[in-house]
Amino acid sequence: MNWALSIFYYIVTVLVVLVYGLLLYAFIAKTMARVQGRIGIPIYQPFLDIIQTYGRRTAVTHGYMFDLGPVFRLTGGLGTLAFIPVIYGSEIFGNFHFAGDLLLVMYFIFFGQLGMALGAGESGHPYAPMGIARGLAQMTAFEVPFALAVIAVFMQYETASITEIVAAQQGSIYNWTLFTNPFAVLAAMFAFLGMSMYPPFDLVTAPNEIPIGPPTEYHSAYLSLLQTNRAIFAGAKLVLFMNLFFGGATNLPIMVLKTWAIYMIPVLIGVAFPRFKVENSIRFFLGVPTLVGIIAVLYMQYWGTV
Amino acid sequence: MVTELLSPLNIIIIALGAGFLLPLIHARSPRFAGQVMFASLLYFVIISAYHFYTLIGGAPAVEIITAGIQPPFAINLRFGLAEAFVLLAVNTAALFGARYMFDELREHASAMILFIVWIMGINGMVMTRDLFNLFIFVEITAVSSFVLVAMRANSIALSAGFKYVIAGTMASGFLLLGTMLLYYQTGTLNIDDLIIHQEMITGPFGTAALMLVLGAILVELKPFPANGWGLDVYQAAPAGIAALLSVGVSAAYLFALYKILPLLTSFLPVIAATGLLTFVASNFIGLRQSDPRRLLGYSSVGQLGLMVTALALLTKFSLTEYIPLVVGGLFISHFLAKAGLFWLAGIIKGSELGDWSQLRSKPVLIIAFLFLITALAGLPPFPTFWAKWQLVMSLMEYQQHGWVFFILLGSLLEVVYLFRWFGKAVSSQSDKALDISSSGNRQWLPVVLFVGLLLACGQVMASSFDLPVMALLPVYAGLLLMLIDGLGERLKQIASLLVIIAYSVYLIPSLDGLNWIFGLMLLPGSILILIASTYQQGTARPGFYPLFVMLVLSLGTLLAAETMLGFFLAWELMTVSSYLLVSLGKKATRPSLVYLVFSIAGAFLILFAFALIYAQTGSMQLSAIGQAGIVSNWPFILLLSGFFIKMGGLGVHVWLPDAYAECDDDFTAMMSSVVSKAGVFGLFVVGTQMTAQLNDMDTILTVVGWVGLIMALAGAIMAAMSEDIKHLLAYSSIGQLGYIVTTFAIANHTGWVAAMYLAVNHLLYKGLIFLAIAGVLYRVKTRYMYQMGGLIKNMPISFISVLIGIITISGVPPLLGFGGKWLLYNALLERGWYLQAGLAFFASAVAFLYLFKLIHTIFLGQRKSEHEHVKEAPLALLIPQITFMVLIMAFSMFPNILIQPLSDAVAPFMASTFTWEGYLLITENGYWNGFLVMNIVGVLFMAPAILLWLVSKKMKVQKVKQFNIVFAAERPFTPATTHYAYNFYAFYDKAIGFLTRPDATRFWNGVSEWGHTVGASLRRFYTGNGQTYAGLILFYIGVMYLAVRTL
Amino acid sequence: MFEFNLPLANIVLVTGFLLILSGLWAMFIHKNIIRMIIGFSLMDTGIHMIMVALGYITGGTAPIFDDAVDGMQMVDPVPSALVLTAIVIGLGVTAVMLSYAVKIHQAKNSLSIDDCAEQKW
Repeated sequence: MNWALSIFYYIVTVLVVLVYGLLLYAFIAKTMARVQGRIGIPIYQPFLDIIQTYGRRTAVTHGYMFDLGPVFRLTGGLGTLAFIPVIYGSEIFGNFHFAGDLLLVMYFIFFGQLGMALGAGESGHPYAPMGIARGLAQMTAFEVPFALAVIAVFMQYETASITEIVAAQQGSIYNWTLFTNPFAVLAAMFAFLGMSMYPPFDLVTAPNEIPIGPPTEYHSAYLSLLQTNRAIFAGAKLVLFMNLFFGGATNLPIMVLKTWAIYMIPVLIGVAFPRFKVENSIRFFLGVPTLVGIIAVLYMQYWGTV
Repeated sequence: MVTELLSPLNIIIIALGAGFLLPLIHARSPRFAGQVMFASLLYFVIISAYHFYTLIGGAPAVEIITAGIQPPFAINLRFGLAEAFVLLAVNTAALFGARYMFDELREHASAMILFIVWIMGINGMVMTRDLFNLFIFVEITAVSSFVLVAMRANSIALSAGFKYVIAGTMASGFLLLGTMLLYYQTGTLNIDDLIIHQEMITGPFGTAALMLVLGAILVELKPFPANGWGLDVYQAAPAGIAALLSVGVSAAYLFALYKILPLLTSFLPVIAATGLLTFVASNFIGLRQSDPRRLLGYSSVGQLGLMVTALALLTKFSLTEYIPLVVGGLFISHFLAKAGLFWLAGIIKGSELGDWSQLRSKPVLIIAFLFLITALAGLPPFPTFWAKWQLVMSLMEYQQHGWVFFILLGSLLEVVYLFRWFGKAVSSQSDKALDISSSGNRQWLPVVLFVGLLLACGQVMASSFDLPVMALLPVYAGLLLMLIDGLGERLKQIASLLVIIAYSVYLIPSLDGLNWIFGLMLLPGSILILIASTYQQGTARPGFYPLFVMLVLSLGTLLAAETMLGFFLAWELMTVSSYLLVSLGKKATRPSLVYLVFSIAGAFLILFAFALIYAQTGSMQLSAIGQAGIVSNWPFILLLSGFFIKMGGLGVHVWLPDAYAECDDDFTAMMSSVVSKAGVFGLFVVGTQMTAQLNDMDTILTVVGWVGLIMALAGAIMAAMSEDIKHLLAYSSIGQLGYIVTTFAIANHTGWVAAMYLAVNHLLYKGLIFLAIAGVLYRVKTRYMYQMGGLIKNMPISFISVLIGIITISGVPPLLGFGGKWLLYNALLERGWYLQAGLAFFASAVAFLYLFKLIHTIFLGQRKSEHEHVKEAPLALLIPQITFMVLIMAFSMFPNILIQPLSDAVAPFMASTFTWEGYLLITENGYWNGFLVMNIVGVLFMAPAILLWLVSKKMKVQKVKQFNIVFAAERPFTPATTHYAYNFYAFYDKAIGFLTRPDATRFWNGVSEWGHTVGASLRRFYTGNGQTYAGLILFYIGVMYLAVRTL
Repeated sequence: MFEFNLPLANIVLVTGFLLILSGLWAMFIHKNIIRMIIGFSLMDTGIHMIMVALGYITGGTAPIFDDAVDGMQMVDPVPSALVLTAIVIGLGVTAVMLSYAVKIHQAKNSLSIDDCAEQKW
């Protein structure tokens, strides 16, 4: 393995995912605006935003953990991406998936969140811990159906390697986990609603309650790092879902199409629903979605492997 | 000549002679009279000591024939080894007892006479081989006791004394009647002759005769419920008299029982039952007792009951060769400890348990008190421990589960009230002061001497077991360090460190496999924590270092144990020393007691299991566990439960949060990171021995697996709801140990490696976090997290410690913790525990809640104004923290240096399923390259960091003050109040808070309540009315008779 | 076993048992300490009578060895000897009990056993 080459490929992947992520963000914002009867932002607005925040000339810091928060956050995004093969069979978009399996990715997702939470905590703004507390609480709940779904997927393919999971879904659309293991996908998509922070699960940044939430005190260069991460992290997560449940992608257009479609699910649900209270959200995820997840596991255990 | 001078008969002659002479001498010179009395008592001691010495050297028993006629036609006395042993003890106690109460004795010649005659009566009861002669000595002893009890002639003593007189005369009346009836049937009064011709004792008439004799002796041994008078006497008599009543007179009756026991073959089950009933009932009632003197009474009565039971059962199963060890051991413990405690009771003013706090003004006495209590409670290294061990083993060999169960139940209750008493003595404040100046050392020195004798006896008894030389090393090391406990803190710390390091260097190379790994974990872990011990500058920590060393060394002996006894001994030593260390905390009295009680209960489960194993295999080796497992699952379940309690397993965890919270802050680190691993080690001892059977234990293992995960979840949720920082971490420990339990139950290679890995992990991060928290608590003086905040500015290194710690706990890559999670899920999936894996995910997600709460509410957010000038933690705490961090980082970078040895250690028991490709670890299901992940993350981390640095270079970054935030469109007036910390997860409580209801606590409180209620109901017998007591005696003998006839 | 063809011994024996029972009875129903002591004395005497009765043989001779005497017809001397000792001891015990009564009366100004119940539980 040529290290320089894989690092170069990785940088390419990051840039592609970044651009794609920003575009996707703009596209979704525009979609929502149209649903609500507004014109919405131009498609290049996120690029302008990110350049603008990088270009700021002053900043205020609350301490070294505050500085490190966005660094952790972006590292989390970059790392999550690094351990997921974006495009099946592609050397350029294969990343460092050989360093670890699905479990590594699932746990690395927390890395950025944790660091960000700490950085925001040091800002001393009460909205930050409030948002984090809500976010963590909700996360514990939607993690249950998600974990069960992943376990069901594992049972189906008897491996925790993402590449092999994608490989097993190749050939026909009916090989997708979506069709071979529908309960797992259903549970996972419930969890995805929670992860995406659109209504009814937008508790963390909840406008009109704790506006902006954890990043309240972040601005200028800090904010730009966060914006960068948002694009990359969203991309990474979408790719993960695509790989696990929707047959992965063998080329870039398929990847774009599939991830966009996946992303539209929470968006469309989001525009139609008001916000849950935190405790209701927790109870929701521990209810039906968890049940579906358990059914998925039991289904795999008793009927899946026949 | 020497033989004649030292003839045991001289005891009686001298006593009678002194009895006549003393009033004459006293009239002239009271002082000289006293000397005569002491000389006589000393002579008794010399005679018994001399014969004890020669008899133990193999000399034949001394037979004393009176009137020149051979028995059975004349009275004969015997002075064998058993007699010599008992009388040496009694006479020694009498000598010191007389010295103890000399102030009272010297007033009246009659008191001195009575005292000497009293002791002579006891000697006679022990020596005589004639039933009628026994009656005479009984009466001599009884009449002297009657008078001595009421020596002070105060109202209470007179009441108690009169009840004693009624009971005593009734008993001796029965004895006389029974003796005569026996004589009528057999024509002999000689006990040996009776034993030879016991077939002549027949029919209901013979049974009645025997019953009368037995009943008389048993009544004097104060069986429940016919013992109210005895309790009153113990409570009311002068301390010196009560001491000798409890140990001397009772010894004589016990010996009398021992003598006539061969006549009573068909009575044995009933005798054993009555003894055991007394043991259990008195210990139940002891729970309710608040007067120390009466408590001692209950304890005496209970111990006597246990001795009677042991005597009867061992005789019943023809295990008489164990009588010296078991009954002798129980006897000598009871003897020395009870005498010492009664003597202490006489020194202390006041009649509340808390009044014993007076002893604290004289450290040697509080230590003596502790030793006496420990000896009574049957904990090592004292004689009772060995006696009980042997008793349980012997009984179990004959499948006597019921007896063993009740013996252990009674012993547990005993532990409860004895150590509650000790707790009160070390925690409460008495308004009275200890005054021992007037009596010089003669009131307290004997107590200390008896403690020394207890230790010596314990050592002697230990030598009759097959134990390694080092088995009692923890005790001696502790004692040795106790001698220098008065020196400076730093000096003691260095001495302790040297001892532990030397011990580690000696021990670790001698271990192998898993034991070696545990050795490498526990001993260096302890050393690191001990380095922190001087962080509270200027605070003396009396007792800390001896106990710490004892704890660490007992952990070491635990690892090195090869026999079940060695294991159990080390386990108990560890329990005792850790209990004492916990109790050093300021408000730790109750938590430490709860900890002890649960630990002892767990230890008894282990003991029970060992006994079962021994009964099945006849082997004392730990390897017998595996052989026994073939027959039954019970040993496995019991052992698991025992270790589970030690780990704070779900349902039996109630001791843990408070014990962790209330002990010294740095010791909490020890409890959590090191001591809890003893439970894990226990699991592995069982597991590795039973590898062959584990496949057939699917149901049990599945249950254990679920329990572990529920424990993990419950621990995490409860931690998230805690406001007290130490409670939070304690619950976190429960949760983390839950994973270890589960991975152990998975019982495949990955599972066990995961369990070991998690254990190492837990040791490192809990040591780290608890020490960091100790620093915080030392600086901020509150345990409530919402009263802290923003401390990152003041304590940056502590912050980093906690940060590294929580990342490790959470399992987020790239640190060490992820390896644990990865192995955990791999093992779960490999085993096919899919739903369990889901639960594990949930539990580890919930862990994020408390971890964030922990770090945020302490270090982040808004600082309280009173904490503005808080300093970083002391260096003593930072050094071990930094070491822990370095270790965590090293293992994170190179996981293989940890996993490889673990895998190798597990491989002999579970074939390895790992494949290594350099740093890449491949299991059946997945792969993980820890080294690569660490590097990727490291590099990736640099990217945004450099980016931020570059960007910030060209712009003006202004560092603002703490309160520079905009909240609700204005600068808050008191920003400290905006620290979001209290009830952090209120909504979580609303959502699933029902899971945190303290059901377990409520359940165990109920159990405790129930125990107290049983005690309260049982003691309804003790109305204080002498006639009721007399009635109970008749009732007791009647029921005994019916029981014997029916059985 | 008893053979009820020994009237004298039997009368003493039965009386002795009756005395024991009445003595115990007295110790149980009377609250007054002095009366309880009397009960004890009755019981003690009863025991002594039984002792004597058990050793007695109707028509037996004095227990003095002589060629002319059949050893089996001797009255057993041992109980008679023992009973003397027992009587002495009983006397001593009674004395102790009475002195208790005196002391209790001094201390409490009462002779009721019910007033001796300070300690309980």
